Amino acid sequence: MEEGATEIKASRIPKIDKIINYKDFFGEYPIIFAIKIISSLSLIYVISEFYVYHNPKDSLLTKYLGDSLKGFDPNPEVFVPWGFAAGFLFYIFTIFKGKYKFFLFLIIAGSLGGYIADPAIDVQQGEYVIPTNTDVENSETNATQWRWKPVKLVYDDVEGTNDRIDDVSVRLTNVIFGSMPFLGAYGIWKRKGWAIGASIALAIIIGFLYTPNLCLENFDEAFCGYDTKQDEKSWSEYLSSGIFIGLGFVIYIELSYAAIKYENYAEQFKPAGLDISLLSKAQRKSVSKTLRTLFVSYLINLAVILFVTFIIAEIVININKYLSTSDGQIQDSIELQGPYGIVFTSLIFFLLLGIIRMFIGPDNKMEDA
Amino acid sequence: MWSKKAAAVAGGAIFLTLAGLIRLNYLFISAGLVMLTFVVISSFLDVWMPNVKIRRETTSDNIFEDGTMSVKFIIKNTGLGIGFVEIYDSLPPQARIIKGSNYTLLYMKPWQEVSFEYSLKLPLRGHYHLGPVKMRVKDAFDLFYNERIEESIHSFSVFPQIEVLEEQVITSRAPKLLSGAMPLNVIGTGTEFYSLREFVPGDSLRSVNWKALAKKGKMMVNETVREDVMDVILLVDAREVSAVGGGRDTPLEMSCRAAATYAKQLLDERNNVALMVYGDTIDRVDLDRGEHHLFKILTALSSAKPQGNLKLEIVMKDLLPHLPSGSPIILFSSLDDDHTISEAFTSTISRGFTITTISPSSLDFEERMKRIPMEPLLIAKIERDNMISELRSFGLQVGDWKYGDNVNTALQEI
Repeated sequence: MEEGATEIKASRIPKIDKIINYKDFFGEYPIIFAIKIISSLSLIYVISEFYVYHNPKDSLLTKYLGDSLKGFDPNPEVFVPWGFAAGFLFYIFTIFKGKYKFFLFLIIAGSLGGYIADPAIDVQQGEYVIPTNTDVENSETNATQWRWKPVKLVYDDVEGTNDRIDDVSVRLTNVIFGSMPFLGAYGIWKRKGWAIGASIALAIIIGFLYTPNLCLENFDEAFCGYDTKQDEKSWSEYLSSGIFIGLGFVIYIELSYAAIKYENYAEQFKPAGLDISLLSKAQRKSVSKTLRTLFVSYLINLAVILFVTFIIAEIVININKYLSTSDGQIQDSIELQGPYGIVFTSLIFFLLLGIIRMFIGPDNKMEDA
Repeated sequence: MWSKKAAAVAGGAIFLTLAGLIRLNYLFISAGLVMLTFVVISSFLDVWMPNVKIRRETTSDNIFEDGTMSVKFIIKNTGLGIGFVEIYDSLPPQARIIKGSNYTLLYMKPWQEVSFEYSLKLPLRGHYHLGPVKMRVKDAFDLFYNERIEESIHSFSVFPQIEVLEEQVITSRAPKLLSGAMPLNVIGTGTEFYSLREFVPGDSLRSVNWKALAKKGKMMVNETVREDVMDVILLVDAREVSAVGGGRDTPLEMSCRAAATYAKQLLDERNNVALMVYGDTIDRVDLDRGEHHLFKILTALSSAKPQGNLKLEIVMKDLLPHLPSGSPIILFSSLDDDHTISEAFTSTISRGFTITTISPSSLDFEERMKRIPMEPLLIAKIERDNMISELRSFGLQVGDWKYGDNVNTALQEI
C-alpha cells in the first residue's frame, strides 16, 4: 500500500440537509421569510378577532356535541395558538426527508398511542431478566425449558385511559375550530394557495353557522362564560368595529398570496429535484435586489390602499347615517336605518365609484382599434 | 382586465355582505364592504401599458446541437409610467433552460433599464428565434392586468453536431490541378505508403527503400499515394420517410450530422464540397471551399426538412450532367421506400462516378419505439440486409449505420 495515502472515512452522523430540507423553511431570500412571518402574525390576529365575535360556544357544534362530550369547552385562547402550531409543525414534518420522515411518523404515532394507553399499562420487571433454563412444571421426565421475560405489562388503570380517550376526542372536536389557523399556517409556510383559500372558506362557514347567544339556550351561564346577553350597539357602531377585522382579512389574504407569489418567483431558478438554485452569487444578489424592490413597492402600495380603503369603508358605512337622518321623505324609511339600508347605500356608493372609474385611468385600447 | 383573484375577492365580498344581511352578522357585512372597497379602489390603479425598447445580447448567433447559448435580455422603459411588470421571453419549444430564467417580475420605474440573463440548450438542428416578448402589466395585488405582445424577435441557427472522423475512406480518380491532402488511391507524389517496386533509372535516391534492398538484394523504391484536391458531392436524403423515429433519432438527423462531419473534414483538407438535399425538391450548395463555405453547408443542413418523395434515380438524372466527371458522391440515406435505388446506382457508376453510401437504419428506430411487431420487423431487416448486400455486390461502399453508433463506426463498415 502506498505510504502516506490517507483514507477519508465517511462520517456516521448524517448531514442536516440529508435529514431535513431546512432551506425550504428559511428560503434563499430573507425577505420572503419576513413576509411569511408578517403573514403568520396577521393570520393569528385575524382569527383571534374572528373568534372574539364568533364565540365557538354559540356554534351549532357546541349545541349538538356539548352534552355528549365530557370536558368539551372550545376556547379560542387554546385552539388558535395550538391550531397554528399544529399547522406549522405539520409543515415542518413535510420538509423532513425520506426515512427520517417515516421515523418521525412512527414516533408521532407511537407517542399518541403511548399517551392514550399510558395510564392503563404499567411496565414492570419480568420474572426472567436473564434467559434461564427452568424445569417444566408437571413434567414426569425432568424436562427443562428456556425462559426469558424481561418486561411485564400490567393493565391496571383502564379508567385513566378512558379519560384520556375522552380528552383526545374533545381535542379532535376542537380541531374543527382550530383548522382555520392550521390550514392558514400550513398554507403560508408550505406555499399552498388552496390551504389559505380553505381557511377563509372555513371562516365563512363557521361565521354563517354562528348564532349570537345560542349557548344560553342550551347550557347554563357558567358553561357559556357570559352572564348576560351581549350589549346592544347601533349597526353603524358594529360595522365600524368590524372594519378592522375586514382589513385584517385583507392583509392576511394579500400577504400570504404575496409570500406564495414571490417564493414562486424565486423557485423558478431551482432545477427540479434540487433544494437550492444554481445561480451564481452575483445572480442571486440580483434576484435578491429585485425581490426587495418588488416587496418594498408592494408594501407601499398595500399601506396606501389599505389606508384609503379604511377611509372609504368608514365613509361608505357612515353615509347611510347622513342619508337616514337628512330632511326629506327618505328618513321615514325604516329599512334605510337598519343593516339593509347600510348595504343598500354602500352599493349605490360603489356604483358611483364605478361610474367615476369609467372616466379615470388609462384606456388601453388594442392597437388596431 | 379582471384577474381570477379579483373576481374571487369581489365575489366573496358580495357573498359576505349578503350572507351578513341574511344572518344579521355585522362582521360579515363589514368584511364584505371592506373587501369590496379594496377591489374598487384597486381598480383605480388600473394599469398603464409601458413604452419599452427591447434588445437581446447573445454569446453567438449560431450554435451546434447540444450547444449552449447565453442570452442577456435588456428592456428599457422609455415612458413615465410605473408599475409591476411580468416579462416572458418566448422560447422555441425544443429549448431547455439550463441557467437563469426567461421570465421575470419587476417593478419598473420611468426611464429605467433592466436586464436579466438566461442560458439555453437546443438539442436539435434548425432555424429558431427568441421572442416575441409577452408583457403583463398589473397592479400590486394582481387584481387587474393588461397584456401586450412585443414583436421583438432574435433569430439564430442550430447547426448539426460535428464529430471528428478517425479515418478517411473517400476516393476519387479525378484529381484537380491544385495539390491537397485527399488520397486519390492512385500512385503519385504523396506521403502515404502505397507499394514497393523495382528501381528504374530516373527514380530519386530519396525514395529507395534501403531495408528492402538489404532483404532482397536489389534496389526497391517506395511508391506513395497521390494526394490532390478533389470535388466531393454530399447528397442528403430529406424525403418524408427520413423522419421515421423521433427527436434526434431519425435518419434525417443522423444524415445531417454525418454530412456536417464529412463537410468539415473535406473542407479542412482544402477540397471542394457541394451539398445536395433532396426531398420534394433539390436544394443545392454549389462546389466551393473554405470556412465560409462550411457555414453555407451547415446553414443548408439546418434548413433540411423531411418532405416530399423524390426518387433517387430522378435526382441522379438531374444532378449527374452538372457534376464534375468522376467526382465522389457520398449519399446519406436510409434507402427506404425507393425502388429506383439499384437503377440510380447503376447509372451513376456507369458514368464514371464513385458513390459511397452511409445508411442510417430506420428499422432500429422502429424497433426502439416498438411500433412494428417482431415478425414484420424481422422480415424488414432481412430485406434491408439483402439490399445492402446487393449494392455491395456492385462494388459500392455501403456503411450500415446502426442506432447509437457514431459516424466512425459506420465508416469502419465501408
